[in-house]
Amino acid sequence: MGRVLHIDLTTGRHEAHPLDPGMAKDYLGGSGTGARLYLDLIKGGSPPDPLSPDNPVVIMTGPLTGVKADAVARWTMSSRSPLTGFWTDANVGGHFGAQLKSAGYDGLVLAGKAPSPVYVTIDDDAVAVRDASPYWGSDVYEVTDRLTEDLLSLDGRRGEMLAIGPAGEKSVRFAAVGTRKRHWAGRAGLGAVWGSKNLKAVHVRGSGSVPIASPERFQTLRSELKILYAEDLLIEALRAFGTIASIDLGTLTGDVPYQNWRTGAWSSVDDLSSVAYQEQLLSGNATCYACGVRCKREVEVSEGPYAGIAGPGPEYETLCVFGPLCLNTDLPSIAKANELCNRYGMDTMSCGSTIAFALECFEVGLLNAEHWDGPPPQWGDAASIVEMVDLIGRREGIGALLAEGSAAVAAKLGGGAEELLSTVKDLESPMHDPRSAHGLGLAYAVSPRGACHNASLQYPIEPGGMFVADVPQLAVELEEQSSVGKAALNVATQDYGAFFAGCAGFCNLGARPLSAAQAVELVNAVTGADYTLPDLLEVGRRVWFLKRGLSNLFGARADHDRLPLRLRVALDDGPTAGSAPDMELMMREFYELRGIDPAGLPQREILTGLGLTDLADLLNL
Amino acid sequence: MGSFKSGQEFQDMLAGFFEHLTVVPSISEKLLASKLIIRFTYTDPDVVLVVDCTGDTVEIRPGDMETKATVDLSMTADTAHRFWFGKVNLMMALTRKQMVAKGPVPKILELLPAIKPAYALYPEYLRENGYAHYVID
Repeated sequence: MGRVLHIDLTTGRHEAHPLDPGMAKDYLGGSGTGARLYLDLIKGGSPPDPLSPDNPVVIMTGPLTGVKADAVARWTMSSRSPLTGFWTDANVGGHFGAQLKSAGYDGLVLAGKAPSPVYVTIDDDAVAVRDASPYWGSDVYEVTDRLTEDLLSLDGRRGEMLAIGPAGEKSVRFAAVGTRKRHWAGRAGLGAVWGSKNLKAVHVRGSGSVPIASPERFQTLRSELKILYAEDLLIEALRAFGTIASIDLGTLTGDVPYQNWRTGAWSSVDDLSSVAYQEQLLSGNATCYACGVRCKREVEVSEGPYAGIAGPGPEYETLCVFGPLCLNTDLPSIAKANELCNRYGMDTMSCGSTIAFALECFEVGLLNAEHWDGPPPQWGDAASIVEMVDLIGRREGIGALLAEGSAAVAAKLGGGAEELLSTVKDLESPMHDPRSAHGLGLAYAVSPRGACHNASLQYPIEPGGMFVADVPQLAVELEEQSSVGKAALNVATQDYGAFFAGCAGFCNLGARPLSAAQAVELVNAVTGADYTLPDLLEVGRRVWFLKRGLSNLFGARADHDRLPLRLRVALDDGPTAGSAPDMELMMREFYELRGIDPAGLPQREILTGLGLTDLADLLNL
Repeated sequence: MGSFKSGQEFQDMLAGFFEHLTVVPSISEKLLASKLIIRFTYTDPDVVLVVDCTGDTVEIRPGDMETKATVDLSMTADTAHRFWFGKVNLMMALTRKQMVAKGPVPKILELLPAIKPAYALYPEYLRENGYAHYVID
């Protein structure tokens, strides 16, 4: 059984607690166990302010993290979000989770607030909280390089690091936490929570390995999966183009949003195709721990105003927010915006969406000369888009305003600015248009952390990128531009998704070819448990209600389960012309299926039946 | 039983459409740039069409089983018909095995920009060439 390392940043004390076997069984790991630990930490008091010392951060690995197999390197970070005020959890790739496991920990709790900037080192059982003042103010790339070098010089042993940049230090509401400069606990402002704790970085080195309960079963399965992966077209597409391949397919179906979600077609989108990206930017690829898919992109720009970029490249979401959403065809500028977000430590999705929103505010005069020196920025104005990213990272000029996130800006501006928003629960929507797959509208509306395409598996399943043939509820016949049956599909994708990606740690890109039977078998082979699929769907259901309940505890009600107007209005052109999600139908059916009352709260008996009686009590149900 | 009872009719209809596309410069340029040989294998009814983009012009060869193709695409005739109306989600069709594609993925993805304008041309082609009864609303 693993351990969870608790570090009190206020006192510098730390203690490793064995992970409770009952909790491990009922929540499996990842964001499920993370949510359970978080609730246990805060339930004695009032809900903590997101940027107060009382708001803990919980990092959890999954049962498969650190195992040498494709697409299982994921781990999670959870807390209360300073952007939304609600529950948030980030699902992260890279190598940090595997390294934490090899140091002997399944998870890490970061609580309190250090009196001055610190970083934490974990070297198996040796844990220290150290002075980070030499690194405070450094961007994520700088601190990653310098601190790695400094620690390496001590004994020559490499580790893995998480770090924030200036955006986290300055409480940009969508600040992120990064590892290896390319993998992010990106959404909803976890970097700002770190900054509020004066926590610059966590560095971990482990000398152990991850035990596998049934090595023979594991090897057999691994061989089977190797064949599956070799023949899978989508895996091949991921290898060839990474997530960028989604733009080619998404423009055919209407998945890609343009011009702050207000138009359905844009003739220049082919300038941003995966082939164009490959020709203009690509210099190599990278991967997560032990994953042969290698979907991460390396880019280089050697000419023009953005010459000098060399490093992690934009993913699909980043390409879209700084590209089609802003009508920007300049790929090097998108690479620059990505690099700036990485360096400052900011979520590219909220940053780019907030800038697209700002461009429209300039267009209609809600933002004006008071907010910007010179001619107002226009759609497609690459230089101004990059400048806005820079200003947000610095919290200077208009950046100080935009750093609060688009919903806060709209509330401040008034004048109908809220009609230009893409937010649910104040989190900006991902780059997948619900008008092309109506169930996504419901997925965004009811996600505990706000508009999110990864809170369930609705995104890969409804638009067709993932097909789980052996779960009948997920293998239904689908008509994407219809709202019929999408509530039931959302319930199924939430339960399966919470198990698959949230708790077990399967990558929802690289692990798409797996059947449910293979996923369950892999978990059992590694852990030695004897879960059945129904057991794990029950875990997923429990975790979904727990996360929803945490957001309820932080004030989320039915009024917050609202898809913004901008995403609900049918467009006149493009592949989704005339199509709009029927939110009333889907919400009514969903609340009924989930047993949620009109106020947006779950029924007590559902929570008690799932072992969440304490949550029911806290919600006064 | 699919919508097309005669293989010859389906072959004539689709080969005619592909020929029609080859005279649209924005499409033919992309096809020729790809240098691909694509074999479409349809079932119900059984029809084979090869689209050869390796020469100076795009060649359409019905029934060609000899040429080695770079990309092989297999599907039912109904799926193909609905696809050209923009009514088949390519990704879903691939993951659900309604379409089977074999060949280099980068080359297949390169073709997508050529497909987009073809959607609008298909119903128009059907109406103008005596296949109006196959137009899907």
